[in-house]
Amino acid sequence: MNAVRTRGLTKRYGDFAALDGVGIELAANRIHGLLGRNGAGKTTLMQILTGQQLETSGQVEVFGGHPYENEAVLRRICFIKESQHYPESFSVRHAFAAARLLYPDWDQHLADQLIEEFALPLKRRIKKLSRGQLSAVGVTIGLAARAPLTLFDEPYLGLDAVARHTFYDRLLADYAEHPRTIVLSTHLIDEVSDLIEHVVLIDKGRILLDEEAELLRSRAVTVTGPAQAVEEFARGHVVLHREQLAGFLRVTLEGVRPGQSADGLEFAPVSLQELVVRSTQHAAGERALAGAANGNGERA
Amino acid sequence: MSRVWRVVRIQLVNAPAVLGLPVLVLLLVLAANIALFAAIGDAAPPDGNITGAVISIYGVMLAVHLQTMTQVFPFALGLSVTRRTFFEATSVVVAAQALGYGVLLYLLSLLERGTDGWWLRLKVFQIPFLDVSNPLLQILVYTVPFLFVSFLGVFLGVVFKRWGQLGVWVLAIGAGGALSLAAILITWQRWWPAVGEFFAGQSALALFVGYPFVLAALLAGAGYLTLRRATA
Repeated sequence: MNAVRTRGLTKRYGDFAALDGVGIELAANRIHGLLGRNGAGKTTLMQILTGQQLETSGQVEVFGGHPYENEAVLRRICFIKESQHYPESFSVRHAFAAARLLYPDWDQHLADQLIEEFALPLKRRIKKLSRGQLSAVGVTIGLAARAPLTLFDEPYLGLDAVARHTFYDRLLADYAEHPRTIVLSTHLIDEVSDLIEHVVLIDKGRILLDEEAELLRSRAVTVTGPAQAVEEFARGHVVLHREQLAGFLRVTLEGVRPGQSADGLEFAPVSLQELVVRSTQHAAGERALAGAANGNGERA
Repeated sequence: MSRVWRVVRIQLVNAPAVLGLPVLVLLLVLAANIALFAAIGDAAPPDGNITGAVISIYGVMLAVHLQTMTQVFPFALGLSVTRRTFFEATSVVVAAQALGYGVLLYLLSLLERGTDGWWLRLKVFQIPFLDVSNPLLQILVYTVPFLFVSFLGVFLGVVFKRWGQLGVWVLAIGAGGALSLAAILITWQRWWPAVGEFFAGQSALALFVGYPFVLAALLAGAGYLTLRRATA
């Protein structure tokens, strides 16, 4: 069953296409990583999925309905974004009281635990919080809400490494007990690569990768060795990236089956982060090539 | 508990800022008025010392509901509340608050009468042109203008959310321009006496209940339609 389905989803601001024909399906009760560079379209996509923006064209379905002004769908969604707005007169406890009123599955016990772990000052006004504390408020609401579809848009800004891992640990533990659909948008790909089960990579409003994380991890390898031998091996594979140092060549290849080997060549797995970076660069390179061929290309 | 009621409670999660602040300001202004006239100590004119202190609570009410839209609405939208539900909840809060304040002002006007104008022949609540004889109608005379200023605040807040500072400026300049044009037209056509007669001929009920109610309804409708497409 899918929690989310989009087809040909497009959002234009004047000439600029923030989303350009996005078609994705997010299976229910899994952790999805929504990855991509700044300005790739991640936030726009999540805003449309949560009824905060309207698409220009295309189809959106969340739990079988269009989310815009749809009470039945929206009450099952919790969207924690980095830029979440809090009323100036609110203190921390007001924000939690409000969230508790809105989410039917709110778990006060979990909220209390997180408040303690993040050392949140309940009586302090929200506008007086540090950036990290502000993020902790969002993370606490997102976890304790237990919404069937929970989206985190860069929820960790200003959180230190320990607090971030508290978030990851809590997320995983609570997810195991109360499965739900989670969408995690982040730059810290290495930190979450063990967490996410499905990867959507978006770049310039288009989907570059939409795959199981497990498959992705085995999808690319780096091959290092004498330039000529590497070139020979690389023939017939998509080369995502190449680095040459004297006579040695290191390439990142897509579509190499695990367990393949060749004499004198060194094979190494590619981390999710590296794969994402190389895929994005590769797409930019192809755009530049296509542009050069047309003679009127967009700048990549 | 219905969703609208939950959002009502969210708007009142910090009740002192919404319900308490306007009353606090009114009481402070009232106290300042009393202190001022006590200090002057002159004999009051035959009609008593009429003051405009009561305007303060209407002004604060406008500001409070402007903030409902600029501050609480984006927060609620971020927590998956629909625009429609939020607007319905706002209307419930505004209506109940307006009625509550209407009763409060009526009670204060009784107190004012009982103390012979706070012992100083002050007229803060029993302003002559606001006076109607029937208690229920008197409460309405106080209440309906609250509806008007609240929905004016809501409308301005929505305009600010959708079109930012620029939108509010355009609206203000547009409204100011329209009023100026009307004034020029009236002067040019020598209609001022007719305008004066019109207002003089209206009852307090028409001026403080009838017209404000129609304006409040129009502003509420415009606010809702504008909000339908607002984003956080």
